[in-house]
Amino acid sequence: MSRDKKAGLSRRVFLKVSTGVAAAGAGLALPGAGVAAAGKRLATLIDLSRCDGCPGKDIPACVEVCKTINRDKIPKIHEPIPEPWPRKTIEDWSKKREVFNRLTPYNFIYVHQAEIDEGGQKRTVFVPRRCMHCDNPACATICPFSANHKYENGAVVIDQDLCFGGAKCKAVCPWEIPQRQSGVGIYLHILPSLAGNGVMYKCDLCNDRLMEGKLPGCVEACPQQAMIIGDRKEIYALAEERAKAMKGFIYGKKENGGTATLYVSPVSFASLNGTMKKQPGMPDMGPAERRMAKTDKMGKAVLQAPLYGIAAGVAGAFMALSRRKGRVKGGEGSHE
Amino acid sequence: MSDKIINDRGLVVRHSLIELVEHWSIALSGLLLLVTGIFELPMANRYYITSIPGLSWSGDFIKSLYIHYAASVFFIAAAVFHLIYHGILGERGMIPRRGDLKSSIEVMKSFFGKGEEPPFHKYLPEQRLAYVGMAIIIAMLILSGLIKTYKNLYAPDMSLTMVLWATWVHNVFFMLFILAFVAHIGAILLKPNRPMIRGIFTGTVRLDYARHRHPLWIREMQGEKANQLTDAESVAKSPTPGGYDAAGEQMGKETPSVVASEGIIGADQGEEIREEAKDKEQ
Repeated sequence: MSRDKKAGLSRRVFLKVSTGVAAAGAGLALPGAGVAAAGKRLATLIDLSRCDGCPGKDIPACVEVCKTINRDKIPKIHEPIPEPWPRKTIEDWSKKREVFNRLTPYNFIYVHQAEIDEGGQKRTVFVPRRCMHCDNPACATICPFSANHKYENGAVVIDQDLCFGGAKCKAVCPWEIPQRQSGVGIYLHILPSLAGNGVMYKCDLCNDRLMEGKLPGCVEACPQQAMIIGDRKEIYALAEERAKAMKGFIYGKKENGGTATLYVSPVSFASLNGTMKKQPGMPDMGPAERRMAKTDKMGKAVLQAPLYGIAAGVAGAFMALSRRKGRVKGGEGSHE
Repeated sequence: MSDKIINDRGLVVRHSLIELVEHWSIALSGLLLLVTGIFELPMANRYYITSIPGLSWSGDFIKSLYIHYAASVFFIAAAVFHLIYHGILGERGMIPRRGDLKSSIEVMKSFFGKGEEPPFHKYLPEQRLAYVGMAIIIAMLILSGLIKTYKNLYAPDMSLTMVLWATWVHNVFFMLFILAFVAHIGAILLKPNRPMIRGIFTGTVRLDYARHRHPLWIREMQGEKANQLTDAESVAKSPTPGGYDAAGEQMGKETPSVVASEGIIGADQGEEIREEAKDKEQ
């Protein structure tokens, strides 16, 4: 696939940029570009000790740049939006594009403000929230049309030209990240009232920019360098290092079976989660099990099933042949 | 091959127990795969299937995936068993023969009252053609399903090209599977085919039906069992109701000329017998 190749070719360039920015911005030494370039998979670190919610700005820088980059992503909405049958759910954010304090099809990142009270000490922590780009994302693997795919670099990307907007990805995501916009997408050209209901949208880690050797918009725009992207192993090591230094906590390492987004925080994620109420477009930070794991054992049995069939087939045929041989022998015997 | 004539009960063994188990393993697991596949589309919540008592799980994609996996273990194992078992035993009665397409058209015409249907082997020519069609559909579903399962377990970042191929092959052949299933049910509901229905439940069909409609099959079996039962005995013991007399007697009078140890006659031999039987009917 040319897209894959392109991603592979540009990764080296990108990593040079990202490690440079990270090293300069974070004030921590990152391994050299040569080592980073050898790694294929990426990860992002979001350092909550650095994020200050961009005081003085109407919209945090990461949110603003994301909105700018993706402004024209969603094509014109079909008017009127076809009414789905029999369940008549329509989700239309096209007239509320400016919303920035939750996830919407027009807003892929927002910043949660957590007021923490730790032993009488009040503290405000800002938490940028977006897709975690999981290691084994059910949203992508379970998509019936493979419209959602995890690339080798770790970015989980929805192809809006293939998505039918069934919202299955949202249902299996522990944080219900993908958001639906009805009245757009391929379903309009098939059976709009009977199948499909729009397109799902979420952060794609600016995969197109990554392929051009650029940084994701939010990483580049953050004035505090609270976000860093780079080689996965290095980012994982850096997260451990920072968490240790601040006697803090990490979120995203084990959640949903592991992700490519690590939050490092000076306050516990249990405390942060206490300030979050899970509601549409606003994920919490609770423990997130990988529900698909429950199917793994049976999945392995599926992969072994051809062997079961071969073994039973050979054994059965052998027995049938032995019986047949016995009959022939018996027949010969009776003639004699 | 377990096919045999049971004269005293007026029956013919058409399918062995193993064949019945194969058929029903594939049929029942296939039906479950089809239904859970629809739930995965996703359809259950939108179409209020989740509101049907006992089907609330249908909206849970992880649960329906688990059931989809479980059903496919049986589906895949049975399909592979079928290939290996009958392949080793050399049972090729369902493989299409030369002229099957032409004969199928004749048979279909006869269903609508146009012309007479030719005498049959164990299987109708369109059954042999449908078998190949179904086998291709099942094979493609299994191959693409295995790739999708491997991706789910071990390689979520598998090449997009591969994932798209597997997904769309699975989706397209899923639709063909539904059509093939509907056609299969439609075919057995056609009046002339109905006597075969009991065969797939009990393993046996009525001897008078087999004599009338599958004389070439009867002849093959009589060839095999010639030393166990004479044709005269066979005719005498078999029930001969209504219109089945003539064909039955004609076949009974013939000396078996072809002995196919695997229950299969070559294409040329088949043609020869068919012509012969036609002549006699005339």
